Amino acid sequence: MTTTDRTNFASGAPLSRRALIAGAGAAGLALAGGRRVFAAGAENTLKVGFVSPRTGALGGFGETDGYVLEVARKALASGLTVGDKTYEVKILDRDTQSDPSRAGQLAKALINSDQVDLMLATSTPEVVNPVADACEAAGVPCLSTVVPWEAFYFGRGAKPGQPSPFKWTYHFGFGTEEFHKMYVSQWNLLETNKKVAVLYPNDADGNAIRQHLAPLLAKDGFTIVDAGPYEDGTTDYSAQIALFKKEKCEIFNSFPIPPDFAAFWRQAAQQGFTKMVKICQVAKAGLFPDGVVALGALGYNQANGAYWHKTFPYKSSLAGVSGVELADGYEKSAGKQWTQQLGASLSLLDAGFDALKKSGDAKSKDAVVKAIATLDTTTIAGKVDFTHGPVPNVANGPIIGTQWVKAPAGSKFKLDFLVTEHVNDPNVPIGAKLRPYNS
Amino acid sequence: MIFLNQIIQGVLLGGYYALIACGLSFMYSVMRIINLAHGSLAILAAYALFVLADRYDVSPFLGLVVVIPAMALVGAGLQRAVLERSARGGLLVPVLSTFGLSIVIDNLLFQQFGADTRSLAPYIGDLSYDSWSLTDDIAIGKLAALTMATAIVLLGGIQLFLNHTQLGRMIRATAEDPDTVGLVGVNARRVNALAAAIAMATVAISGAFLAMRATFDPYSGALQLIFAFEAAVIGGAGSLWGTLAGGIVLGVAQSVGASISPQGFFIAGHATFLLALFLRVYFGDFGPRLRSWARRAA
Repeated sequence: MTTTDRTNFASGAPLSRRALIAGAGAAGLALAGGRRVFAAGAENTLKVGFVSPRTGALGGFGETDGYVLEVARKALASGLTVGDKTYEVKILDRDTQSDPSRAGQLAKALINSDQVDLMLATSTPEVVNPVADACEAAGVPCLSTVVPWEAFYFGRGAKPGQPSPFKWTYHFGFGTEEFHKMYVSQWNLLETNKKVAVLYPNDADGNAIRQHLAPLLAKDGFTIVDAGPYEDGTTDYSAQIALFKKEKCEIFNSFPIPPDFAAFWRQAAQQGFTKMVKICQVAKAGLFPDGVVALGALGYNQANGAYWHKTFPYKSSLAGVSGVELADGYEKSAGKQWTQQLGASLSLLDAGFDALKKSGDAKSKDAVVKAIATLDTTTIAGKVDFTHGPVPNVANGPIIGTQWVKAPAGSKFKLDFLVTEHVNDPNVPIGAKLRPYNS
Repeated sequence: MIFLNQIIQGVLLGGYYALIACGLSFMYSVMRIINLAHGSLAILAAYALFVLADRYDVSPFLGLVVVIPAMALVGAGLQRAVLERSARGGLLVPVLSTFGLSIVIDNLLFQQFGADTRSLAPYIGDLSYDSWSLTDDIAIGKLAALTMATAIVLLGGIQLFLNHTQLGRMIRATAEDPDTVGLVGVNARRVNALAAAIAMATVAISGAFLAMRATFDPYSGALQLIFAFEAAVIGGAGSLWGTLAGGIVLGVAQSVGASISPQGFFIAGHATFLLALFLRVYFGDFGPRLRSWARRAA
């Protein structure tokens, strides 16, 4: 349950009879007086599935989805006009509980029982891949984001250099190339010895990064000091830290699960490694404020990459809100600091509903999938262009360089999240100069 | 020198494992209950300390003054409401019921606190990452040293209490044979409730150190259980000094394993665990307490 739900539940005083009657009357008037009246029946209702991890280990990703869906539903309250027809829209949101097999089951239920016209899925391969597989098998258009596109495309059996095996499933977002460009640009912002201590785990992300990203970084003049593939859940890192200290690495890069990073970084501080580090660039851990706040003073000046930031200069094509409006709205409604997932989830809804609009016939699955394949639109998170993707079924999305810094005294939250680099989308304004970690 | 540091870090890690395993080992030795909710209960205590620190600015160490008695009450209540009843159903039922309990606790914590990652480290200043550096290669973390000292005092204290006090003897006797202690006027139910309270008090301390050393969220309890379990088994289930030794053996094995290969951390730890298990099976090195339990079960 999200905080929003809780608040509503808590403040939901029982309606008085009078208020109820007044409300019903107003609704009736609105229906009668409105320009369009929804006719009943499946013909006039569009059903869109929205699958994300709201609870469980990946719950941090889904935490803001309740608010994003509220914004989207408000924007769709008077229906969606496709061609000359207006449909009532039902967004059926489902929580995978961070379980990949549950994600697949939910997708099948949405396809078979609810008969959705379009499927949307977001956040991590554990959600997106099983949902996309179910849609591909059933012939239902599916759009997804917030997964490295290589994991979506190659991870589901596509082979490099061969035609795409996917007809129904499309994905937009960052990949190795965006990370590579952002890292090179971010790391050249400061004077260092260009020796990079890398701590990549022995899991799907870690091994993919070791194989594809590390060689690219080496080509750009960085010396990679790899401590080898450790297992997720390791509790002692003295061997790795000893190596990094011996090599005097001034840049640190890792793709850890959040609890491992806290254990590693605290031990690195104990052993005197963090004093050497000028840039601490962490992916995966540190996406969201809570994980960085949990590090205390060690979290200040940690550098990250972000797939969305509230200063992105775009508006939601669906809801019309700007990034700052979305972030402020969330902070007001939930009482918590905004996160980059807000814009990502809304961009998925932006792109999905734009495709429905452009399909000409939102009830025809063929028309919808064709509209997605040729989609070229601007969402709150920037351009989504399937006509110029790296491979079929994929559109690139940006990763921008960011940094967590201590918020000035008197701020509402403990940390500020600032843009320090924008090579993947130069429209995004740079908010601050990258500070050395150990400053 | 680097190798020496590996071993020192391994020993300190072992102290942490022993501290986490303390409550598990105590419950097993005294009540013959494998408590699969151990990790979740430690996380529950961690959240209690977090709330005190975050909302009321109470330092986690001071917070323990409140949380230890509270957890002790939880322990006594748990014994009466869940463990005692399920223990009557045989050896397996408590395993199932505590497993169910862990799921309930995890999800209640999620309802209340959401998925956010938390840590107590921000509330103890720089203690979580400060250290004494002896040479360039050897540094001893202050929190790790404090964890070790706490483990020694706690495990040693409980062992002494069990061996040398009237109450300790009553607890041990109840563990051996609850029916016979009834004949000499000991209320076995009350003794067991007290034992559960002591176990949960130690879980509160485990939770505090876990939350200061690492981060936690509502679902991180199960992860903590594995190493605690291994430490308890290597040390011989039921012996508290053994648990300390078991934790250190596990920690050193992992740390040395990791310096040979990055994957060696887990492999060396699990291999040591299996080796200890095999040795015990083949050489019958079970503690006398365990033997008597086997006799009764047979």
